[in-house]
Amino acid sequence: MSNATRSIPAVLALVASLMGLSLGGSSTLDYAAHLDRQMHGIHCGFIPGMGPAETAATGCRTAMFSTYSAVLRDQYWGGIPIAMGAFAFFGAFSVYLLVAGRDAPRKAPWFLGILGLTPALVSAGMAYIAATKLGEFCHTCIGIYIASGLLALSGILAIVLDGRQRDGRDGPRVPAGGLSPTLVDDAPVTRTRAAGSPLLVLGWLVALGLFTAVPAAVYASALPSYGSYIGSCGKLAAAPEADVAVHVGLPGAKQPATLFVDPLCPTCKAFHQRLQAEGVYEQLDTNIVLFPLDNSCNWMLDRALHPGACVVSKAILCSGDRASLLLDWSYEHQEEILEAGKGEGGDGRVMDLIRARFADLDGCVTSKETGRRLDKILRYIAKIQLPVSTPQLFLGDQRLCDEDSDIGFAFTITKLAPEVTLR
Amino acid sequence: MKGAALAGLVAGCGMLVGAAFTVKSEVAAATQRLTSPTPIADAPKVAVAADAEAPYCTPAFKQVLARVIHACGLGGQDARRGCQPADVKTLASISDEEFNALFTPLRDRGAVILFDDGADKLDDAAKKAIEEAWLDRKGARYFFVVARASKTGTPDFNRTLSHKRANSVMFHVGDHFQEPELDKEMGLLWLGNEFAQLGTEYCAWNISRGEKACTAEAINRSAFVSWVDCQL
Repeated sequence: MSNATRSIPAVLALVASLMGLSLGGSSTLDYAAHLDRQMHGIHCGFIPGMGPAETAATGCRTAMFSTYSAVLRDQYWGGIPIAMGAFAFFGAFSVYLLVAGRDAPRKAPWFLGILGLTPALVSAGMAYIAATKLGEFCHTCIGIYIASGLLALSGILAIVLDGRQRDGRDGPRVPAGGLSPTLVDDAPVTRTRAAGSPLLVLGWLVALGLFTAVPAAVYASALPSYGSYIGSCGKLAAAPEADVAVHVGLPGAKQPATLFVDPLCPTCKAFHQRLQAEGVYEQLDTNIVLFPLDNSCNWMLDRALHPGACVVSKAILCSGDRASLLLDWSYEHQEEILEAGKGEGGDGRVMDLIRARFADLDGCVTSKETGRRLDKILRYIAKIQLPVSTPQLFLGDQRLCDEDSDIGFAFTITKLAPEVTLR
Repeated sequence: MKGAALAGLVAGCGMLVGAAFTVKSEVAAATQRLTSPTPIADAPKVAVAADAEAPYCTPAFKQVLARVIHACGLGGQDARRGCQPADVKTLASISDEEFNALFTPLRDRGAVILFDDGADKLDDAAKKAIEEAWLDRKGARYFFVVARASKTGTPDFNRTLSHKRANSVMFHVGDHFQEPELDKEMGLLWLGNEFAQLGTEYCAWNISRGEKACTAEAINRSAFVSWVDCQL
């Protein structure tokens, strides 16, 4: 076997590691930029850091703001992003393999082969989550999956080549003490490679741990204190009356919460999903207050941000103990309902969709009484002078800041509602 | 072997230090932005939920309403209820026609409650019209009752009569709806026969006695009621 052939796994591992390191680094830096509690563009592509930072809702933004993008989220605001990984270690390890050539102990390719699988396994898990939970893939993540796959491939190749050498297919074996190989020496020099001390493996494992832990520790130690920001976004001036709120709390839920939502607001849907993904939703004794951002009933707007939201809100008011079911339905079919609500006759088309699924609500939704109840809800919102935006969550009477509703949610909720436990 | 280990070590340390330094720098930059935010000049201002503000809420209309609200007890600071004709004349500082014209946009929003000659009792049609007008609140904060009397009789008598008519509306709403904040929501103006009399063209508005003849006298034996969609 030539030196060039023998070097392939190390070169491949080096390329994969650098690719993973730069993509993971780019993603981590994008994540860290959001630690100022503002919205920023995200670099979303296969080439790290290249292209404009996108502000639109992309797969990368979905992935970044998901509950799966960081660990220790209840300990640190935003948690520690997991994209940082251990690629730096494998980069250094591949340099070692490349320079060592035939002198590398036999345990080295096996170490690369076995431990090199871990990023691929993590990537497979994340890809599964992206497919089943998030419903979309981000380009940067796909790049990291590819890098992880190449790293795993390099490890497998290293093991295969090591096996061929041991089987004698790499030239005749000679006793130890033969001529030392060089990088330019392509002759079939033969000698038995040392297996390597178990301590060496231990050292590599320690190094791998260090490489993984140090950037995370640096990240965590550099985080600012968020104590003064949490709970600084105001209080609920007055609790909603019984006919203003729709109670959707499950039995046993102890933490009182008031949630102002528009059933056709995409952010409300995302927030609802976050509450469910975190395992928080079922622990909240929630009163929903409908706040449709649709000028067909809401006088605070000069145009419909979410056409059809008034009709859907009325349907929820009419649904009694099925309110939660109807809210879930509206989130699930949000795009379809929004599309139906656009233009002339939009409310009628939205009503048709509701009628098709909840036929018994027909008379109630169009009744004057329901319209007046919705007016009363909106007057309550005007009276307490809420910002015209959704969603807004109050835990007790304490408002959850908008800035704490995505990556900082887990940390914030443990501070505002200590009894709530995260999934 | 030692050379390879050294190369790996150097490469590793380089990558590790580089990664750590970059991460620390970005987090520090975010911290700086967090603690010393730069004001964004063109940042969109988030609107605050408020009462309705209809296009007819012109500055002149709002000026009259604001004066009425503050002077006639709706501000909540005093126990005074309603405004007399002299008050309205002073407050409005406008002619009869201009005063009536201010309420023209409320034609479809409100109702004209008609009374019998010399009476302040509400008939069933009047009660129904008041209830419908009251329930059609939407986003309005103030409900106005502008009571009048016809030219028949003395100014004093008509002043008192129009006062009673305004009160009849208020008492009916209070009794029927048990509205706890009625004092802060309903503004009463009684004009007697001295100010802003209505012409017969107002017979075409939403009157409570649509089936009966509407004369110049009859249209002024009335109380105009409507929610007003203005922020004051």
